[in-house]
Amino acid sequence: MTALARNEALIGAIPILGLLLGWQAAVSAGVAPSALLPSPVAVFGRVAQNLGDPDFLGHTAVTLYRLFVGFLIALAIGVPLGLAGATNRIAGAALKPLVRVLAPVPKIALYPALILSLGFDDASKIVLVTADALFPILLATFQGAAMVEPKLVWSARAAGTSPAGTLLKVILPATLPSILTGSRIALVVACIVVFLAEMITSTDGLGYLLVRAARNFQTVDMFVPLIAISAIGLLLNGALALTRKKLLVGFPEED
Amino acid sequence: MIAISGVTKTFQRRGGGTHLAIDSIDLQVAEGEFVSILGPSGCGKSTLLYIVGGFVPPSRGSITVSGRPVTGPGPDRGPVFQEFALFPWKTVLGNVAYGLREAGMRKREAERQAEALIARVGLKGYESFYPKELSGGMKQRVAIARTLAYNPAILLMDEPFGALDAHTRVRLQNELLELWERDRKTVLFVTHAVDEAVFLSDRVVVMSRQPGRIKAIVDIDLPRPRHRDELLLQSRYQHLVIELERMIEDPPEEIRP
Repeated sequence: MTALARNEALIGAIPILGLLLGWQAAVSAGVAPSALLPSPVAVFGRVAQNLGDPDFLGHTAVTLYRLFVGFLIALAIGVPLGLAGATNRIAGAALKPLVRVLAPVPKIALYPALILSLGFDDASKIVLVTADALFPILLATFQGAAMVEPKLVWSARAAGTSPAGTLLKVILPATLPSILTGSRIALVVACIVVFLAEMITSTDGLGYLLVRAARNFQTVDMFVPLIAISAIGLLLNGALALTRKKLLVGFPEED
Repeated sequence: MIAISGVTKTFQRRGGGTHLAIDSIDLQVAEGEFVSILGPSGCGKSTLLYIVGGFVPPSRGSITVSGRPVTGPGPDRGPVFQEFALFPWKTVLGNVAYGLREAGMRKREAERQAEALIARVGLKGYESFYPKELSGGMKQRVAIARTLAYNPAILLMDEPFGALDAHTRVRLQNELLELWERDRKTVLFVTHAVDEAVFLSDRVVVMSRQPGRIKAIVDIDLPRPRHRDELLLQSRYQHLVIELERMIEDPPEEIRP
């Protein structure tokens, strides 16, 4: 079991190594001058250097702050709305058209309007992250809650739980696997959108570092924020997988 | 104890029209009586049970339990489902203690009583297991213990052994009878297995299909306590099984789709 898991991890590492080798090969073959396309060795060297750089770490912290606050607000809005929509007919009828209208809107297109109303600072970026992370969480919660086996609710009702009580005691825990699946997608989306927002207008954060480096032709530094946000995504995914394992201890396994 | 009068249930069909699931059911169940509802699949026998449980409202007719009309679920009627319907996020102990905690009992006392019940259904040592780690028979034992925990006067059992293999099924039937002999709860037991109905019940209500109506009510005048090995040899038991099997055999005109 663990040996198999280790083998799977090894197999999963091969395409990533292949990608890096392809990158190195492109540089070695002289596809572009190394001043414009730096080698992965140079980039990862700079990443390692930056890990001890308070300035770089500060920018990373700013990005993480926006990402987390935006994501947590999305969770705090999306889960109750999803539960309400799935369990209450009126709430469902009110919510469904709104979600259908708003979900396909590219939230990044709201960003200029957000800047104008909320300013350049954290608020506009956090709201944007929330807007983008909200829908995966809301939709997953809604669908999960709508599919809860009615006999679970009946069993609780017969045991004396009030209709409102079943929401917290049965429907929420039964929906937890779906909520975590939605959160996983939302975290990836949050990583993307916080970075984009910082690229568009910012004076700090990883996205800003990338734009600043590009403007100054510091090509090695241009790739560092990309590696950083990718690593953040990887770590967050890992943390969520651990949370999942802990929270869903009694649920059937799924990959 | 349970009075079902004129209960009819129609379901809205997708794309318009209605489906008459059960039609004008009248049935009285006395306190401490073990009554089985026997019928082919699709005869609405589970629907009838859900209506008595208060999980599904009837389209017409009424149910009273101890004289009070049924308007919703309540701890006087404890369901046991074929699908077990255990809370997957709770351990065996958490599942069985659930109803006690809901009744306002303190955690420690609820767990102590739950442990005693778990032992009573033969699962001592499995308190910290999650439902997914148990076999079907063990899950159903937990589900029965979870329902017995809040001490309902009536057990509503919806083909509780239908998803189990033959061997486990017989074991659980025996265990259920033992439990029932001890506290003589009123039981409404839905099944499509004739031998199960005869073995367990005081009376068997035979239902016909489409719409579900009561076709006959048969008294099972076999002495108690019943033991399977003795019962199987009795001609009275054999006759009852054969009689009921003939009754639930669909006449040809009911077979057509």
